[in-house]
Amino acid sequence: MQILKKTNLKALEKAKKLGSEKIIALVSKKGLTGRAGGGFPTGKKWQMVKETPANEKYVICNADEGEPGTFKDRFILENNPETLIEGIMIACFAVNAKKAYIYLRSEYTSLKPKLQKTINEVLKKAKSKLNMEIFSGAGSYVVGEETAIIASIEGKRGQPNLRPPYPTTQGLFNKPTVINNVETLTNIPQLVLFDDWKDLKLHSLSGCVNKPGVYELPIGIKLKDIIKLAEPKNKVKAIYFGCFGGCLPYEQFKEMEMKQENICKQNCALGSSTMIIVDETKSIVDIATNIAKFYEFESCGRCTPCREGTMRILHFLEEISLGKATKEDFETLQELAWVIKETSFCGLGQSSMNHLLSALQYFKKEFEAKLK
Amino acid sequence: MKINIDGKDFEVDPKKRLLQILKEKGFEIPSLCYQEGISIQSRCRLCIVEIEGKLKASCEILPKEGMKIITNSDKVQTARRVNAELLFAEQSKFCSTEHKEHDLCKIISELGVRDRKFDTKKKYKVDLGAAVVRDDNKCVNCGRCVATCAEIQATYAIDFAFRGNKEHVTPYFEHDLNDVACTKCGQCIAACPVGAISEREHLQEVLQVLKDKKKHVVVQTAPSIRASLGEEFGMPPGSLVTGKMVAALRKCGFDKVFDTDLGADMTIMEESAELLKRIEKGGPFPMITTCCPAWILFMEFFYHDLLKNMSSCKSPHEMLGMLTKTYYAKKAKINPKNIIMVSIMPCTAKKFESTRPELKSGVDYVLTTREAAKLIEHFKIDFKKIADEEFDPTLGVSTGAGAIFGASGGVMEAALRNAYETATGKRVSKLEFDQIRGMDGIKHGSIIIKGKEIKFAVANGLWNARKLLEKAKDYHFIEVMACPGGCIGGGGQPLPVNKDILQKRMNAIYQQDAKMKLRVPLENPVVQQIYKELLGNPLSKKSEELLHTKYTKRSKF
Repeated sequence: MQILKKTNLKALEKAKKLGSEKIIALVSKKGLTGRAGGGFPTGKKWQMVKETPANEKYVICNADEGEPGTFKDRFILENNPETLIEGIMIACFAVNAKKAYIYLRSEYTSLKPKLQKTINEVLKKAKSKLNMEIFSGAGSYVVGEETAIIASIEGKRGQPNLRPPYPTTQGLFNKPTVINNVETLTNIPQLVLFDDWKDLKLHSLSGCVNKPGVYELPIGIKLKDIIKLAEPKNKVKAIYFGCFGGCLPYEQFKEMEMKQENICKQNCALGSSTMIIVDETKSIVDIATNIAKFYEFESCGRCTPCREGTMRILHFLEEISLGKATKEDFETLQELAWVIKETSFCGLGQSSMNHLLSALQYFKKEFEAKLK
Repeated sequence: MKINIDGKDFEVDPKKRLLQILKEKGFEIPSLCYQEGISIQSRCRLCIVEIEGKLKASCEILPKEGMKIITNSDKVQTARRVNAELLFAEQSKFCSTEHKEHDLCKIISELGVRDRKFDTKKKYKVDLGAAVVRDDNKCVNCGRCVATCAEIQATYAIDFAFRGNKEHVTPYFEHDLNDVACTKCGQCIAACPVGAISEREHLQEVLQVLKDKKKHVVVQTAPSIRASLGEEFGMPPGSLVTGKMVAALRKCGFDKVFDTDLGADMTIMEESAELLKRIEKGGPFPMITTCCPAWILFMEFFYHDLLKNMSSCKSPHEMLGMLTKTYYAKKAKINPKNIIMVSIMPCTAKKFESTRPELKSGVDYVLTTREAAKLIEHFKIDFKKIADEEFDPTLGVSTGAGAIFGASGGVMEAALRNAYETATGKRVSKLEFDQIRGMDGIKHGSIIIKGKEIKFAVANGLWNARKLLEKAKDYHFIEVMACPGGCIGGGGQPLPVNKDILQKRMNAIYQQDAKMKLRVPLENPVVQQIYKELLGNPLSKKSEELLHTKYTKRSKF
């Protein structure tokens, strides 16, 4: 796998020789985009931070991998932390930051001692004065959002905040801040050093399959080719792109090329290429209830539709699974889901209904069969 | 910049948020969590509009050239209605707001909701504080109280705890307000759009004592409420209703109606004497005023090293309470034990102040302006039509210096007028200290008394006070009032308040001062008589005993 290739600080050396301008140009030229789901061009982000005048700048590595069914960042943290750390060092060099944070999700605390040891070794070996700190999260899903990460590191409540100002101009402690995902930053030294670097993406595959795991695949590969790798146990019914990405019926879309824009057209989101494979033995209503429970628990409480709405959605879905819901309840559910998606404050609320809305689009009959 | 709203073009200020623009242009947009002067909460999601096919909360959007906004499409209506239903269902008790502008019940009925669509299971304990009562069962998590406490008052007494639908407002570790560093200023009450926070009511107790024939019930009214009480009865902001207020209170059954302005005059006599004494002795400077009980609490919690700089004077209503139970009781030959003193104040912190043991307070009950209005309504008095009456003269004659206590800068101005005249024997050449009047957060100036330059500064709002205290050493005399604009913007005043209303109340107070013949406390005949018959001189042993107090260091946790 390309992502496991080690660069042994040679990429950093090369970056320093090239200078920050050229490094950013190189990252832009190779077309690296954010791997956490947003797909923002990494070079452009760095350029914005570099251009903003400030006496201090920060780099944050987002290792708050909270999306259900996603485990690719963990795979990197366990198997190639050296290259990740080098990537962070290159990012700091490119934007002239003196301090970097690795925001590690609290569920990954077990990785912390080894990661800390690796940081110490790499910094020592590079004779770097960079201040790199592991910041442990407190277990909130929404803190994966960049403004919420900033709030959390600042010691505030881990809630998303209003944008603009964007972190690139006013981020951590009101200073320009680069926030990149683990996978994005690990790609940096590799694309700097290896001429044959290819734009490959990690896919987390799980669900009703015999071979769940992390797969490295080119962007734009057909859905059926991905699913085949994981060896489904039965006939596949639907693919969930994590919780927030929504779901698609497999048979109808198996020929689709897995590109962000194709999936967006179906009102879903590819996100960080998470795929949970669901086969014919599973009920979509049960899955929807389960995901609704997750969002009800993870809503931060800031805005009305997400705080109150996710709770009501869960209630209605539970009623439906128990066969207690009426037609009117089902209509209220649909209206509510639409309002939550349209009017929530942050990405969590807005995407929290993707799973339900797409399930209602493609598997409505399963819901209707359970109504009173 | 030009934008298009509902098909019409408008020229707009690009720095203002869309909600503000829409309101200024006369569009009716429901909103609960937006408040001028605090950061954008974007919580309630009622101010939804449609911009290029997408629904957006107008409070967080900045206008862009050529932006097309639809304020009333079906989509917008549905989104607003559903969010209002969700908010409505969040309350397990109905709201009881006096905020006419932001009534959730009104918003809900306008959106066509008639009943609770969802049930609520939430149940919280009511936090019954000495001055401020918080009932989370009415709360809709709009965040205005939290932001007001932090961003305007720099007190951080309350914040959100827990997450999702368990999120609610609370002091740290879910303590009661009484047990945390809360200044009791009541600005959270003014911020709350659903009445989840309110003053600790004492209306029933007052109604009881009014019925008790054995008690001699006396009322005093603060300088600022005569400029605001009228609003409760539908009069325009800035109406001065002194005469009507006195008449109405007398009709409620109070035996005497006294004027806290006289207490203010007494405070000034003592405070200016204290200032002159410190000038003579060379310190400690700056001397800090202590008329505001929320400010005193703030200092006791957060600035222990400056407590020695605080003036030892009690606040005006406490002084008048004391004088009522000594000077007046003796004159009227009434046993002080049978006198009940009720203070009508613009303030919730005064409720707490009257329970301080070290004051041996002469005040038995404190009512806010809003409670006073309820009291008058209880007796079915037609406030607008009632004929003017005068205060009872025994403790009801006051000067313009006492009158301006209700506005930020007023205490300072009054003290300086009196100190100058006491020290030099002459009236200060210009009585109006314009540099410390007005709505600015921090104001300052200087005056020469007996060849020495006295530098003074004034702050209103506790964040401004914090900023001023950083430069405290530059000044000789500092006045702070905890609420924006001073007592005219107090936590017990009629709602809603905004800058415009505050300015009108302030103007009314200064007009009253300008009309008065007596404008320096030294010239007040009743003040002179009190000193002659009871106290002797300012700062005498007797006044130290009755009119001065001490402060305690309080822990933040």
